[in-house]
Amino acid sequence: MPRAFFPRIGDLAVPTYQDTIRALEGYWADYGCVLMQPYHTELAAGTMNPATFLRSLGPSRWKTAYVEPVIRPLDGRYGENPYRFQHYFQYQVVIKPAPADVLDLYFGSLEAIGIDLRRHDVRLVEDDWEQATLGAWGLGWEVWCDGMEITQWTYFQQLGGFDVELVPAEITYGLERLTMFLQGKGSAFELEWAPGVTWGEVYRQSEREWSAYNFELAPVDVLTRRFGEHEDECRVLLERLLPLPAYDQVLKASHVLNLLDARGALSVTERAAYIGRVRDLAREVARVYLELEADGDAAA
Amino acid sequence: MATLLLEIGCEELPAGACYEAEQQLPVLAEREFGAAPDRLFIGPRRLALRFDDVPDQTPDEWIKGPPLELREKAAAGFAKKHGVGADDLVERDGFLGVERPGRPLRDVVPERLDAIVRGLSFSKSMRWDDSGIRFSRPVRWRLAKLGSESIVGTTSFGHRFTAGAIEIPAADAYEESLRAAGVEPDASERRRRIVEGLDAIGRWSDPAGVLDEVVHLVESVLVLEGSFDERFLELPERVVVTAMQSHQRYFPLGGNRFAFVANGGEPDLVRAGNENVLEGRLDDASFTFERDVGVGIDALAERLGAITYFKGAGSFADKTERLQRLASELGGGEATLEAARLAKADQASELVREFPDLEGYIGAEYARLAGYPEAVSAAIEEQYLPDASGGPLPQTESGKVLAAADKLDALATSFSLGHRPSGSRDPYGLRRAAIGLNRLAVEGGLVVPRSLLPDEVRGFVEERLEGLLDLPVEFVRAARASAVADLGGVAALARALYEERESDAFEGVYTAYDRAHRLAERAAEDAAQEVDRELLKEDAERALADGLAQVEVDGDVRRALESGATLAPLMERFFDEVLVMDEDEAVRANRLRLLLDVRDVLGRLGDFSQIPR
Repeated sequence: MPRAFFPRIGDLAVPTYQDTIRALEGYWADYGCVLMQPYHTELAAGTMNPATFLRSLGPSRWKTAYVEPVIRPLDGRYGENPYRFQHYFQYQVVIKPAPADVLDLYFGSLEAIGIDLRRHDVRLVEDDWEQATLGAWGLGWEVWCDGMEITQWTYFQQLGGFDVELVPAEITYGLERLTMFLQGKGSAFELEWAPGVTWGEVYRQSEREWSAYNFELAPVDVLTRRFGEHEDECRVLLERLLPLPAYDQVLKASHVLNLLDARGALSVTERAAYIGRVRDLAREVARVYLELEADGDAAA
Repeated sequence: MATLLLEIGCEELPAGACYEAEQQLPVLAEREFGAAPDRLFIGPRRLALRFDDVPDQTPDEWIKGPPLELREKAAAGFAKKHGVGADDLVERDGFLGVERPGRPLRDVVPERLDAIVRGLSFSKSMRWDDSGIRFSRPVRWRLAKLGSESIVGTTSFGHRFTAGAIEIPAADAYEESLRAAGVEPDASERRRRIVEGLDAIGRWSDPAGVLDEVVHLVESVLVLEGSFDERFLELPERVVVTAMQSHQRYFPLGGNRFAFVANGGEPDLVRAGNENVLEGRLDDASFTFERDVGVGIDALAERLGAITYFKGAGSFADKTERLQRLASELGGGEATLEAARLAKADQASELVREFPDLEGYIGAEYARLAGYPEAVSAAIEEQYLPDASGGPLPQTESGKVLAAADKLDALATSFSLGHRPSGSRDPYGLRRAAIGLNRLAVEGGLVVPRSLLPDEVRGFVEERLEGLLDLPVEFVRAARASAVADLGGVAALARALYEERESDAFEGVYTAYDRAHRLAERAAEDAAQEVDRELLKEDAERALADGLAQVEVDGDVRRALESGATLAPLMERFFDEVLVMDEDEAVRANRLRLLLDVRDVLGRLGDFSQIPR
């Protein structure tokens, strides 16, 4: 396997945040992944990108890798806590079906970004993944490097309530944790994003402002109405057999739910009910997507 | 005879799956090879079995078919079923049958190894290809060595990062080959070395019990020590310990030191990384802690309306109201009621959302920081006690009351929603709650009025008393039927009855009760509503009625028994001199009522019919 796409990484004393992303891009592109770009609406996890969620369904082979900004309103801390953000980045890799040497492939990527596996303590620690809003679950691990959780690793088993036909491996690198480890930093704000520019300089103000919006200003009544509108629109689109735009409505409804949650507008029971509504939509989208794919009509 | 080694190579199995496999492999091996393995090697990347003396040949098999006289009717069908011609059937002891000669072991090993792989069942399993196999994590290689011969596969794999594929020259060289490749395959040896390493470092502790998991988180044992910045010692101790144990599986060494177990790497690098991670965790916990403290426990308590206790049981605000009422009914004072108001406040805290195990403990810390008296804070901290069989009880009075109120509410609420424990399933922890409530009453001396327990709950709780007290159950059952007003009183009565079982007073009460009970029970519906003194014609029955009026059974059990025993001679005289079944219906009804009264008065001391004589 060629690992020379980004040869400079080996020469660097400390790779920047963007060096690490470039090295991952190079490694997975060389492996044959389609390099996707971040999706155009708010996602709480790279898994929700249709390039993972929908492409993991059905019988078609698929390999992709991409950076995904994840938006989790509830996790914002006004830029004060260097471990919690309402907006951060994942590097997402999906290989479907997972080849027998998929773990070795993954460990190869760690070497490609400058982790010497013989000098560090890299381990796979049980972590079973479940996402209620997507009706999805899988088994896998969190990957520890000297105690730092740098990756979530999952073999999908069900998505949208459907058993996967070919079992994909999903590899989700937490880019902040990973680069904190690589740069030996105790705070994400101190990470060197590019030479001379820190992560904090790029995003701290954004954390402050978005935390204020998420926790204090997001309009609850408008959001509540919007949730219903996204739900309705999703169903209309499904009737027209357009699962891809319908899926965007699921994503938007899911984000609205997360905002309502951050605003403290939902009791536990209400929250569970909203999650159930998003899950129902996700199941319907998955069902229609699979039907179309079976008919050979799905946009490939 | 030969040595057989089977290895199932996996991607990293969870510790729980390792323990499940350890339980099942001997049984599966017995089924497939007719013998339990001599050695079992369990770890995250491999499950292996070694048989030291397996016959080279499987035993001959005789499949018995129909008796000779049914040859015409049944032979053809039987032969077809077993894949032979009817002429190939063999006669033995008056029966037809099929002779299957034994097969060489090497021929059957692949299919039997496969049967073992497919036979293992895990509480959580997955599929990863189209083999149809479900396993805890993907199986990536199989190896079977018979002596030095490879029957299945050719290689094993050593330590994931320091050794690649390795040769196992022979079945009995398995351990040494792996050790040379950086893997300790024997779980008990890994455990021994971990404990040895921890002991060598110092006084380690493991309050959350992570050692069992850590044994299966490594194939190679490297025990290291680290430390963190002393400023984190300002955090409540259990917050620090929980951050270490629940996320990182570290072992606290006291102060700012900790130990951990790595699977390899350069010690200085690995230590520095882990120290960095723990400081990050603690820093994050500090942020969370400070935010909670900034909100304050009173404001947290006001947020409980938005948090569901459990489905159908209302919010934690509802639970709080019930706790306050119960605490007051249990005689709780001002501090207890204050504690009840704040008891669940930490359910609204960020720290408990992060570390659920800290509930109670962290609420108490927040109450202390808000300046509440120790009686309030201690009660909040002790409300979940006793939380384990034989675990400690609350030390403070306010803690006992709050702990009892919490359990009473959990029981009453769950039962009212139909959540009774069934079999081994007890998701709401109701057995533990019932036992805890009994222990608070019996060992803690807390007065728990039985009237606070709805009937069904009362039955459930008092049944647990039977197992808890070291007394024959009949005495506990007898006492349960008494009029004693509180749970601890039932236990005390049961013990007193048992201790007095040989005394004259007990004998007297027992006899009187027994005679009254036997006769009156048979004719209970004929009895009058109440005793009419005008209808008492005989001296003996008047004497019994007078005697009964004198009997005092509430209070000290021994005195009550002596008082009750005064009825024994009166009863004897009554039965000697009075015919209960008088011809006059009214007289008869009156006498039956008198006997029922005797039974009921003495019955306040318990249902003596439960006690065999």
